[in-house]
Amino acid sequence: MSLRLTLLWVAGATLAACGRGAPPQAGPHADTTPPAIRYASHIEAGGIAPPGGVLKNPHAGDAAVAKAGAQLFTAMNCDGCHGGDASGWVGPNLADGRWRYGGADDEVFSSIFYGRPKGMPAFGGALGIDGVWTLVTYIRSLPPPKNLPTESWENEKP
Amino acid sequence: MSSAARVALLLCLGLLPAGQGVTARAAEGEWPMPAADYAASRYSTLAQINSGNAARLHPVWTFSTGVLGGHEGQPLFVGNTLYVVTPWPNVLYAFDLSRQGYPLRWKYRPDVSANAIGVSCCDVVNRGAFYAEGRIVYNLLDGHTVAVDARTGRELWKTQIADVANGETVTMAPIVVGDRVIVGASGGEFGIYGWVKGLDLASGRVIWTAHNLGPDSDMLARAGSFHPPYDTGADLGVATWANDSWRTGGAPVWGWISYDPALDLIYYGTGNAAPYNTEQRAGDNKWSASVLARKPGDGSLVWAYQFTPHDGWDYDATGAMMLADLTVAGKPVRALVHFDKNGFAYTLDRTTGKLLVVAPFAHVNWATGVDLATGRPRLDPAKQTGASVGTVHEICPSLEGGVSPSSPAAYSPRTHLFYTSTNNLCMDYAAVPASRLKGTPFMGVTSPYSAGPGGNLGSFLAWDAARGKKVWEIKEPFPNWSGALVTAGDVAFYGTLDGWFKSVDARTGKVLSKFKVGSGVVGNPITYRAPDGRQYVAVYAGIGGDWALLAGDTRSDDPTDVREPAPFMPDIARHTSQGGMIWIFGL
Repeated sequence: MSLRLTLLWVAGATLAACGRGAPPQAGPHADTTPPAIRYASHIEAGGIAPPGGVLKNPHAGDAAVAKAGAQLFTAMNCDGCHGGDASGWVGPNLADGRWRYGGADDEVFSSIFYGRPKGMPAFGGALGIDGVWTLVTYIRSLPPPKNLPTESWENEKP
Repeated sequence: MSSAARVALLLCLGLLPAGQGVTARAAEGEWPMPAADYAASRYSTLAQINSGNAARLHPVWTFSTGVLGGHEGQPLFVGNTLYVVTPWPNVLYAFDLSRQGYPLRWKYRPDVSANAIGVSCCDVVNRGAFYAEGRIVYNLLDGHTVAVDARTGRELWKTQIADVANGETVTMAPIVVGDRVIVGASGGEFGIYGWVKGLDLASGRVIWTAHNLGPDSDMLARAGSFHPPYDTGADLGVATWANDSWRTGGAPVWGWISYDPALDLIYYGTGNAAPYNTEQRAGDNKWSASVLARKPGDGSLVWAYQFTPHDGWDYDATGAMMLADLTVAGKPVRALVHFDKNGFAYTLDRTTGKLLVVAPFAHVNWATGVDLATGRPRLDPAKQTGASVGTVHEICPSLEGGVSPSSPAAYSPRTHLFYTSTNNLCMDYAAVPASRLKGTPFMGVTSPYSAGPGGNLGSFLAWDAARGKKVWEIKEPFPNWSGALVTAGDVAFYGTLDGWFKSVDARTGKVLSKFKVGSGVVGNPITYRAPDGRQYVAVYAGIGGDWALLAGDTRSDDPTDVREPAPFMPDIARHTSQGGMIWIFGL
């Protein structure tokens, strides 16, 4: 626990010292940005978890923020890659309950804020921390996915 | 003497002027460039396989490319070697067709940034390579052109031509004319400032850059040499875009370039105007959705014609510009024939750009026709789009096009017919305001599709471009996304989205053979005479190209990305899934 607190503190100091590289809207939540996220889904060598930070969404479950996030999803051109209803286009489906880089709040935050190597742009600079949390809140508010694992044509005419 | 050796000998003896060696190769049963010849005809003089024996065609060899993206484009066959470029990561394979089992001579694996995947509008495709003077020249998705030694596979040069961070990717097939390599960039969905560039074949150095919109100086529209057939005035690429919207106006180049050696002109089409919301760019938006004719040496613009002024439907004009000498209304003409996304087939005079014949080859309702005197479409006011208009229902064709520009047609000088795939889709189009954020999509539309009249989603048809008439048509259940091939054996070839590769009688449209190749076909068949003296036909299987729109549920490789079927096409995944294969057929 003390290790985590230390990391959080380091993160805040790092951001404050970043100058030009810091997010422009690094406001009240700047001190909650860790230097690295530990992904619960990753295999841990030797079963030993590495040190890593945890981020908490200040807007978790807030329907009004989710609504604002839906507008942001269009305004920031997210829909251009992930589809108008986030159901996937050239970018992956975000409404199927499955996640290439993890679906926890802090994992989704990290994907949006820093980008991903297969073409997901880093939006942290353009959106700031609160903007990214707003998007996370929207994405996590999408309706629970349908049961998609099986696609069947058995009941169709031949 | 092999055909390659004969061409090489003629070149050594100085009997073939520079640039014509590559043309002679096509005549010898090789396939040295994307469409076999500069005229973009995708026609072969080979006739061992003919309408009398094509029923016996069967697969003789296959190879997995190990890549799953949409396998558009086509192989090359030069000097006993079959060259294959894959979708991202753009591997180049060279197969030795003089050995049993066709083992690889080499493969070339460039380092292509995965970041480019995120600024590819539709899929990470590559439309093929070009052979010239011992080099294989092709483009990498992340904005580079490379030249590779055709014999050794060694990289000769690599030039950055495009900026991925600004939304530019490169999917088109280059053309080489003399010592010039001409290339362009995709990015109509990212608000790029569209261009073509001329590179030096020997060094890869960029010699000239010509924009497709913007001021005359940027467009290389030089005083006294630029004569558009229907327009007058300076800086049309600025004057026809309100509020300087040309700066992010798109007009990308992601299709094909053809060349007329007699006129010394290259021809290519430009893509859509950006963004999709027309109200952010009042005016004609020249020269998006247009054909441009330039001098290859210095890039000078000679003429331009806009198929779809003020494009409100994503009607890219990047499909092939096919050059054929036709007889129109009793007169011989040097024609250019183009099947546009907007559903009209255009026959025009390739010396001047003036229209000769325009007729719909697919179901069209955004315009009732095209005025041959002014060059302008006669618009249906009920089908005009814009953010303030809301949803406009049942526009045909859809933004996938009456045919995809990725699916080039073929022309036979024996039948005087053109052969093309088609899509039979309509759309509801709802434009919304779009904001440009560099490196992210600049679009602003939702556009669900529905089947066009008849219910079949595509077809393969034969077209008389001198009269503007369909001669025969084979209806297909799915959008038809492959290119065409036609031969002196009077056989036409194409593939279907559900994975059938077919040969048909070029005169009647009768299907002669078909074989299921494992994944949907979006590539373009080629034919060649192999070292054993026999004629073969090669084609890629590998659904994609716009798979995210057309076939998201055909994917199986990523357990974290599961799609529902598209409502207009609920059963494509019942018949095919992703895959990348090279198939060779013989008698």
